[in-house]
Amino acid sequence: MARFLRAVSNPIAAVGESVIDMATHLGAVVTLLLRVIRSLFPPRFDMPEFWRNLYKMGNQSVPIVMLTAFFVGGIMVVQSAVFVKRFQATSLLGWGAGYSVLREVGPILIGLMFSGRVGSNNTAELGTMVVTEQIDGLRALSIDPMRYLIVPRVLAMVIMLFLLTVLGDLVALFGAMLFGNLIIGLEFGVFYSGLVNSIGIGDLMHGLIKSLTFGLIIALTSCHFGLNVRGGAVGVGRSVNAAVVGSALGIVMSDYFLTFLLT
Amino acid sequence: MSDKPHMPGLEAPPGFPATVPYRVGGMVLGMFDALREFQRVLRGTIRYSIWGKRPKGEVLNQMYQVGNRSLLFVCVTLGCLGMVLVYQILLQVNKITGDTSQVGAEFIKGMVHAFVPSLTAMMIATRVGAGIAAEIGSMMVTEQVDALRMCGVEPIEYLIAPRFIAALFMTVVLTIIALAIAVGAGALMAWGSFGVNPTVFLSFDKVTIGDMVTGITKAVCFGAAIPVVSGYCGLTTRGGSEGVGSATTRAVINSSLAVIVLDFILSALAYFFLQSRGL
Repeated sequence: MARFLRAVSNPIAAVGESVIDMATHLGAVVTLLLRVIRSLFPPRFDMPEFWRNLYKMGNQSVPIVMLTAFFVGGIMVVQSAVFVKRFQATSLLGWGAGYSVLREVGPILIGLMFSGRVGSNNTAELGTMVVTEQIDGLRALSIDPMRYLIVPRVLAMVIMLFLLTVLGDLVALFGAMLFGNLIIGLEFGVFYSGLVNSIGIGDLMHGLIKSLTFGLIIALTSCHFGLNVRGGAVGVGRSVNAAVVGSALGIVMSDYFLTFLLT
Repeated sequence: MSDKPHMPGLEAPPGFPATVPYRVGGMVLGMFDALREFQRVLRGTIRYSIWGKRPKGEVLNQMYQVGNRSLLFVCVTLGCLGMVLVYQILLQVNKITGDTSQVGAEFIKGMVHAFVPSLTAMMIATRVGAGIAAEIGSMMVTEQVDALRMCGVEPIEYLIAPRFIAALFMTVVLTIIALAIAVGAGALMAWGSFGVNPTVFLSFDKVTIGDMVTGITKAVCFGAAIPVVSGYCGLTTRGGSEGVGSATTRAVINSSLAVIVLDFILSALAYFFLQSRGL
């Protein structure tokens, strides 16, 4: 409530506070990026940790990504069902579903789910390590936390979000095909030819470049908030919350700029 | 996604191979356990929201937490998404027909009944769902919830019901604000990048009563689902800081998934009962 009263009594101070807050986090994330890049030359990082993270972040997210993508495909069909019925433009369904899933909806929604599952998990894990002083322990053993913890995680997240987006796009298009048949009664062949004739490799690449960027943003944001946890279990919860919010903001805003840059 | 079922006496005996039936059985039992707990939270939330006692001003405080403090986040994300959607649509329309006069009306119709409610709810699930789980989870591991129970206060009544009422109301409010922001940002984008006149773009002719009913129903359902799911995740927190982290993670995932699945179901219902009858 104190914050509410301050926001009412002095709105300019409240806005300035949140702007400074945002700038601080943005600067810290960029610094973290530079440190990660610095640690990649020479590429000496912990290989077993890298493989473990690839499995944990990638393979174990497959069910949730497939479930999300399947329903996303269904939603795209249900939304466009009215147009298709009204104009009798059944060949357009494949084009519409493919265009929207590959370029926008697929990367964004899979990115958001990935940030919810993997990004926040990562923040929680690193945050727990910070509050139980395991990171200081690593330093005391003269193990560089950057090379041992952060670089493997960042690499694993970027690679795995890219691969999961490929898989999710495929599942979403299958979902669209299936629900197109169930709800509108569209033949599989019509959907397929509509998809193949109008969607090119450019649309797929558009979405995949986005997913690479989203992966980097999720990785850096979650690592930054994880490493800066203060104050026990309560602090871990607060940091995880801040990490998901930051990732979602980063995903949507970078999507906006990428859409212009890529066309 | 799901935790191991917590059932004493059902652990595998030493040396017992982790066979497939054993694992499947454990998964099914764990799922039923989770479902029973979830429906207890759901029923409690609904009952206490109607008849329960609340500290004075708690609902208003939660409304501020849920609504006002998410406002900037929701506006920024939905504004960006509105611009991106318009840009992608107009790019294609320019390539195929070049007739941009109908784009605005169809875009606004789609925004009202489909995109804005679900995307706003995804953002609220991220921001508010994680917040609720983190807060209640921290209270669980610091034994504040047990202290509440010892004082004879039901945690669902004291903690979840005010958040439920606040989120239910504020999701609808935020959805309407987000709709205005997204449509406005989309109109600006169409004007700036493609020269579509805002007076042509901002036409609400295609928006029917059915669209508005669909959009509001979706917002209400999402607003009800998010606090219950994340409150459940918070109340099932176990262990120290690790437990709080995993509760928050589960809250984000489960409430986002709930939004997506509900969106699919409600869209299908709206298609069969409203749109196919021309409403």
